[in-house]
Amino acid sequence: MSGEEEENAAELKIGEEFLKAKCLMNCEVAIILEHKYEQIQQHSSESDPSSQVSQVFEKSLQYVKRFSRYKNPDAVRQVRETLSRYGLAEFELCTLGNLCPDTSGEATALVPSLKSGGRFVGDAGDEKIEKMLNDLSLIKKFE
Amino acid sequence: MFFHIVLERNMQLHPRHFGPHLRDKLVSKLIKDVEGTCSGRHGFVVAITGVEDIGKGLIREGTGYVTFPVKYQCVVFRPFKGEILEAVVTMVNKMGFFAEAGPVQIFVSNHLIPDDMEFQSGDVPNYTTSDGSVKIQKESEVRLKIIGTRVDATEIFCIGTIKDDFLGVINDPGAAV
Repeated sequence: MSGEEEENAAELKIGEEFLKAKCLMNCEVAIILEHKYEQIQQHSSESDPSSQVSQVFEKSLQYVKRFSRYKNPDAVRQVRETLSRYGLAEFELCTLGNLCPDTSGEATALVPSLKSGGRFVGDAGDEKIEKMLNDLSLIKKFE
Repeated sequence: MFFHIVLERNMQLHPRHFGPHLRDKLVSKLIKDVEGTCSGRHGFVVAITGVEDIGKGLIREGTGYVTFPVKYQCVVFRPFKGEILEAVVTMVNKMGFFAEAGPVQIFVSNHLIPDDMEFQSGDVPNYTTSDGSVKIQKESEVRLKIIGTRVDATEIFCIGTIKDDFLGVINDPGAAV
């Protein structure tokens, strides 16, 4: 097993390097990778760009295209803006943006670190989470 | 989880490449060397998005090669223990099932599949609940939690569970919509 015994994403123990890094949601990665793929297509003399990218790239591109909750770049931007208003860590923001839970119960089960740090305490905290999820689903509705 | 980070690497270049296109040659060599590789610390390097800085080249003693320190931005995929993500099932057998999330393979053992799901062998091996309402087979989309990671020379391998709340099948390809 890996030597990182204390690593635990549920408690946001992911190492300082990644805590400070910019996290990307699947829909954001889809935009970046698709753009890169088109660039390779344009610059390449061969007709098949998939021979020029690594398997890691292809698999990642297929994955993010399949698991993107939002397809429209404006919607993607709105999701990040909306979630940024709630004082979330980058990792929490992207996990919520990727999984789109329906209820505050589901959200706290998927992102247990939400409940620590005094941000979403008690019933008021649950209501705040519900409002956040509501805002997210509105973006999806009007995408 | 995907991250956008800045990494640094020392690139060695043979003098035959020196000339007006030195920078371009350095960048294409960087892309060829780094994209698609994997390290335990940063995970899989999916794509290089830009070069931030190329430092002064140092000629190496004895050979004519020059080493350039290159700082570049890239998208990486690094799975974490405790992370919950969605994956596609690629293979099902009686020990459990294999799923893929991007470049990473995840194995879910039958001990970490809910007890009410049983393995059914056949043309399309699958795990099904007793009432047949939920089925896990090849191409099913599942939400799972990573409970451990192992780093190999060239890849990261994970084990996961679907036994917790809100985990399991998201989409059954065999079900009528």
